[in-house]
Amino acid sequence: MSTTHSHAPLEESPLTEFEVLELAVRELAIEKGLFSADDHRRFSEWAEARTYTVGSRMTARSWLDPAFKERLLSNGTETSKEVGVDWLQPTGQGTPSDYTFFYVLENTPKVHNVIVCTLCSCYPRPVLGMSPDWYRTPNYRRRMVRWPRQVLAEFGLHLPPDVEVRVHDSNQKSRFMVMPMRPEGTDGWNEDQLAAIVTRDCLIGVALPRADVTASQVPKQPKGRSGGKKR
Amino acid sequence: MATTSTQYDQLQRQASNLSPADRLPLDSPYEISNELYDALRKVLHDVGGQPDTPVPFTEKGEEDWEMNTYLTCECLGWRGVWNSEERRRRENDLGATQYFGLPYYARWITVAAKALVDRGLITTDELGQKIDEVRTRLERKRS
Repeated sequence: MSTTHSHAPLEESPLTEFEVLELAVRELAIEKGLFSADDHRRFSEWAEARTYTVGSRMTARSWLDPAFKERLLSNGTETSKEVGVDWLQPTGQGTPSDYTFFYVLENTPKVHNVIVCTLCSCYPRPVLGMSPDWYRTPNYRRRMVRWPRQVLAEFGLHLPPDVEVRVHDSNQKSRFMVMPMRPEGTDGWNEDQLAAIVTRDCLIGVALPRADVTASQVPKQPKGRSGGKKR
Repeated sequence: MATTSTQYDQLQRQASNLSPADRLPLDSPYEISNELYDALRKVLHDVGGQPDTPVPFTEKGEEDWEMNTYLTCECLGWRGVWNSEERRRRENDLGATQYFGLPYYARWITVAAKALVDRGLITTDELGQKIDEVRTRLERKRS
């Protein structure tokens, strides 16, 4: 996922009506004193620094440190501070969209967890960054709660029938992250090595970590297949 | 002959359009069944469990206007103009055509503009003038 929001040269992209509308609303809001340009900049700095690697770190540390794992599973919001995430930031009261309870869902040999937000697009941004585009599509929202095995198979994740699939529907009050099981072939690995194989998709629950797949090998997202263009 | 990915995409689009069309004429009928009353009250955003065809789950990073939309909406929340519940409620209230027809962040920025107008914080004249001004400025920048 794109954790650093890159600024393409302006000439590259054609003007869209949504871009015009956004800038118009923002400039009017700033002119009227509804918020300041500095507010926007500060929020931007916070948002662009959010990345799923926080979730990867939490998972890797949990694999190595049972006491940390216990704290994380019993109080996700509070334990996030141990990996540098305070859910009250960046405003002191949390983000308008995300201040909520954070729960970590532990996968076991018999239970696989996966997250969705059927009503909209709730996602634990402070620990996973911005949600992938597909996570917010009506298609994923429609089908994941009812045909999870089929949808997971479309992501390449085929679960045996004896593994129970638990789908967690996120909402304004509860955000979830999946803690996958430590894969084979990682004996003796340190926290950094382990964190590198916990990809964003593993933390959503649509993939499982493997010793031979690291996040840096995940194909880069193409920039702008453009939901913004009029089609 | 092997199927190319373009052909596959075309097939996919066609398949998505094959849902059975069984439409009732809705013309303020004199009476309706209880079942239809229930169906009419179903909220459009509660899509969990609705059948749909598989589609490719594509990766796409936020474009600049999308990230800026997120930030503008959050700043409006931060400074007390609205909250995220209102934003979502306003998106739902766009109606099915716009809710499912607009890109995700286009829903956000559309309702942000409406919220400012509805509160009297900006007028539609101001918004229209600002939109024209911004469009002219950006077009000049890019030409």
